[in-house]
Amino acid sequence: MFGLPIETTLLVFGFPLFWIVYTVVFLYRSRHWQHDESQQDDAS
Amino acid sequence: MSGTVILFLALYYVVVLGIGYWAMRHGGSEDLEGYLLGGRQVGPMATALTLQSTSMSGYMFLGAGGLGYTQGYWAMWFAAGDIGGGVLNLSTIGRRMRKLSQMFGALTSIEYLENRYPSPAVRVFAGVLTVFLLGFYVLAQLIAGGKGMALVTGLPYPVALAIAVGIILIYTFMGGYLAVAYTDFFQSLVMLVGVLWIAAAALIELGGLTAANTAIAEFDPTLLSIWGKDLGFEGQWGVALGAVLIFSVGLLGWPHVVTRHMAMSKPATARKAGMWATAWNLLFVPTPYLVGILAVLILPELQDPEMAIFEIAGLLLPPAVTGLVMAAIMAAIMSTADSLLLQTGSIASRDLYERFINPKASERQMVMVSRGLVLAIAVIGYVVALYEPPTVFAIVIFATSVLGSAFLPAYFCAVWWKKANTAGALSSMIVGAGVAFAWEVAGMVETTQMAPMTAGVASSITTMVVVSLLTQKISPVPAHILVVMDEAAVVGPIPKTLIAASDAALSPEAAAIDAKLNGGDGND
Repeated sequence: MFGLPIETTLLVFGFPLFWIVYTVVFLYRSRHWQHDESQQDDAS
Repeated sequence: MSGTVILFLALYYVVVLGIGYWAMRHGGSEDLEGYLLGGRQVGPMATALTLQSTSMSGYMFLGAGGLGYTQGYWAMWFAAGDIGGGVLNLSTIGRRMRKLSQMFGALTSIEYLENRYPSPAVRVFAGVLTVFLLGFYVLAQLIAGGKGMALVTGLPYPVALAIAVGIILIYTFMGGYLAVAYTDFFQSLVMLVGVLWIAAAALIELGGLTAANTAIAEFDPTLLSIWGKDLGFEGQWGVALGAVLIFSVGLLGWPHVVTRHMAMSKPATARKAGMWATAWNLLFVPTPYLVGILAVLILPELQDPEMAIFEIAGLLLPPAVTGLVMAAIMAAIMSTADSLLLQTGSIASRDLYERFINPKASERQMVMVSRGLVLAIAVIGYVVALYEPPTVFAIVIFATSVLGSAFLPAYFCAVWWKKANTAGALSSMIVGAGVAFAWEVAGMVETTQMAPMTAGVASSITTMVVVSLLTQKISPVPAHILVVMDEAAVVGPIPKTLIAASDAALSPEAAAIDAKLNGGDGND
């Protein structure tokens, strides 16, 4: 792809894809963190 | 360079200084928490961008471009890890560290470590090591700033370097975390536009990415491989792993980066900040490396590979755009330097001088210590940068390898492992820093084919686990720390009884600024 060898293509595009998936999974698994949002009001 | 370029550079500094001044007047320096952590009111996007820009700017415009120019696509190993550094950091320790630091009442990342691992030795070792390594990191920014300024203005390097150092000192003495965070935020956006513009111009010049890669294959096919020019790193998976780790996992151990967690407006800020970090990194991180690779075709006879991005910008962009791009690059370099100097001065004065040498130091003495150290680093940096400047890439890789190796287990285990105790943390810092340092100095990379970062992190993690388990009886984790760790794990508000008051021993900088802005006596 784009004139690159296969292993270079994997390096250039594979890692970004991994981090996109990681971020999506993180956002999904942390959706309940919004409970912390009330913290500042309670603490002040 | 044309007058247009210099005009844009000057305008850019005025805008950035204006943002910094505005931030100082709007809550950035009302008290110690305001000065050092922006009053813990920094939102998700600003958190993400200040974290990213602080960790990479000078390196990205010189070191990354130079690496791409000399090693081709092998440089992308560094980008591969760097893209995820922000979200990895925020998702693993961000929320818990924000809560813990508030419950401890800690305002610096070194103070936080002493609170979690109670021992003066932790603060001394962590403080001295951080000051030393951040001093090195500043040196890289000075060299980058001097080189860039020389190219932009056409002045001789010594004069350009002196101007760059002078501007950095002005930024630093203006000070304040909120000012740094918001100028970083603004600069990050301009950095992104600037580097994408340069990359687009280079790709248009070469007829697109496929055409460029085809031309590189004819020029030197090894530059397209994942093992570097002439396949110099072929089969060296330990070196490749180190390149991936250094800006991903390694970021977890950088005191000046994890401070960003402590300044978030809410623990949950880490969630959206992680998303912004990934979005910005996907666009920004690989681009300087790619521009460096493309520069092989556009500027095949370049004398200094680290100037690849500057030279490409000057060659391919119209003067007005070049001015904007150059200004963005220079300001990004300098804002990183001022942030590092601020951290170094604060740690030296608050975590070392006040804590151990002169607990009754007057505010005037504290200000003198902090600013004296900043000046000393700037002067030493100027001399080194003038007479024997190492490459920006070499300095950054050295400093960040040792920082990451020393502090990664300490910061990570601080929130995740209740058995991590003082003995384990202190010994892991010493072993991690020592191994990474020795690996670099003794040239072990060639003989072992393993990067200092890989060896250092493996050593420090092993030491943390083994020593902590062996010393549970003689060095138990105090009960109050176990309580706040339990609370940090809970998603929800911190009970009022567990929120520690911020240390009333105000930093000299905060008190001085408060007195200046509000007419107080500086003791509020």
